[in-house]
Amino acid sequence: MLLSSYLDGALTPVELDEVVVALETDEVAIVEFRRLQEIRRAVRVLPMLDMPLHLLPGEHLGEQLSAYLDGELVTLEMPVVSAHLNTCIECRRELAELDKSRTAVRALPGIEPPEFLEVHRVAKDDRKHGRRTALAVVSGVAAVALAFTFGPFTSEPEPTAVSISDLQSRHTAVASVSSTPLGIQVSSSP
Amino acid sequence: MTNVRRLLLVGASALVLLALPAGGAIAADLDDVLYEARGSTYTASRLVVSLWGGQTQVTREFVEHSDGMEMVRRDTTWSMVGNGKAALMDEESTGVTFLTHQPGISADRYTITQLDKVTHMSRSCHIVEVREGDVLRAAFVVDNRSGALLIQELYNGNGSLYRRTTLSDFRAYRMYEAPMDGNDVPMEIVMPEESALLPEFVAGYQLADAFSAPGGSEQGFYSDGLFRFSLFVLSGHTTVSGFEEPMAFVAESGVYDMVPTAHAVRLHWEDGSKQYVLVGDLPPDHLGDVLSELPSPDAGSMWTKWWRRLFG
Repeated sequence: MLLSSYLDGALTPVELDEVVVALETDEVAIVEFRRLQEIRRAVRVLPMLDMPLHLLPGEHLGEQLSAYLDGELVTLEMPVVSAHLNTCIECRRELAELDKSRTAVRALPGIEPPEFLEVHRVAKDDRKHGRRTALAVVSGVAAVALAFTFGPFTSEPEPTAVSISDLQSRHTAVASVSSTPLGIQVSSSP
Repeated sequence: MTNVRRLLLVGASALVLLALPAGGAIAADLDDVLYEARGSTYTASRLVVSLWGGQTQVTREFVEHSDGMEMVRRDTTWSMVGNGKAALMDEESTGVTFLTHQPGISADRYTITQLDKVTHMSRSCHIVEVREGDVLRAAFVVDNRSGALLIQELYNGNGSLYRRTTLSDFRAYRMYEAPMDGNDVPMEIVMPEESALLPEFVAGYQLADAFSAPGGSEQGFYSDGLFRFSLFVLSGHTTVSGFEEPMAFVAESGVYDMVPTAHAVRLHWEDGSKQYVLVGDLPPDHLGDVLSELPSPDAGSMWTKWWRRLFG
């Protein structure tokens, strides 16, 4: 059971230490681990399902960019989309624009309903539910409208603080693209 | 083909095969050495010791290295680095992904010498020395079978050692399934942008990519094929945390706030209108050369400081 969790990356640090010791010393565990690996390998090399045409490289990603940002792509789609993004400048630009728009919408302040829209507490449950839904829809539409109306004319709000840990993580991530393996670190504290 | 010719051909092939080191060919140049090290697959304990400004920085960590990715455990914290990603794997894991293809910056200014075979940790290895002209810059003990760098020593221009990285409890693998792949971690996606602000070359280092970064800043990533650094250019309004108790790094171009770690040096300074943060693994003398070509720290009069505080 622990060996399976080990392959899934679902162990706690204590369990991980136990498994590592077992894999170094316990022959039964080693045999079991190899058997488990073989089973998983066999599953992985099963024939893949046919790829939908719109996922083949060469097609632009369109709505899949949104799903990509939401983390809603299925496992099969992920490598195809990543590969396409690596080679297609247009889709990368579109992804960047989409990400910026979402950040702008997220940064808008919440909109409080005016008093005259306050729901009467004595109203029936179904009416109350309907009004609240309408209120949410109105607020959402207003937020999006504000984003598109004023977004382009206002300067982007500038965060006032950055941490050296964050900057170092960014350096580390970029540095890991190139072949040099020297000096790798992600810091959690300065 | 006569039997004699056939025999000669088979004999010559056998000689060529015997001449190759066990486990794979020795890399021809520095790019190959680093490329093979990046692609090696192993687990190990890693000890990194650095000397900066008379102080010693030490880090001990457990590493799983596979196909350019590293899972690093330090105390109870896991992090993931590789292929443009970096993420901390804690309860509120977040990370950053750089979608970029850096131009292949060749380590042209370095030459390598491959020394005799050695045995290290009961493994067949060879030593690679990296020189910049006559100056020894790095020495690696390279595992013949995996290509991993079991020992890395990095040298300052005056010949002094400033960083030593050693792997112990080393186990090489042909295939390794890392316990974590980081696919569940929410990632900020960053793409390269054009920059008119960052210089293309700084003291032999080439601008490989530019990105926008937090606080309205810009990040320039520079490399000379062996060492790398990032230069962050921030507005004068931004507060940079992490430099509250800095050491002083004194260069010909001025005095800088420095907070080194075992893996990297981190500097912070301001000129008249902007702030700069430099993070990298470059040697101290290279750092001095780089700083001399960047805007210098502005000591600033009291009036200048007050003016900036009031009006930015």
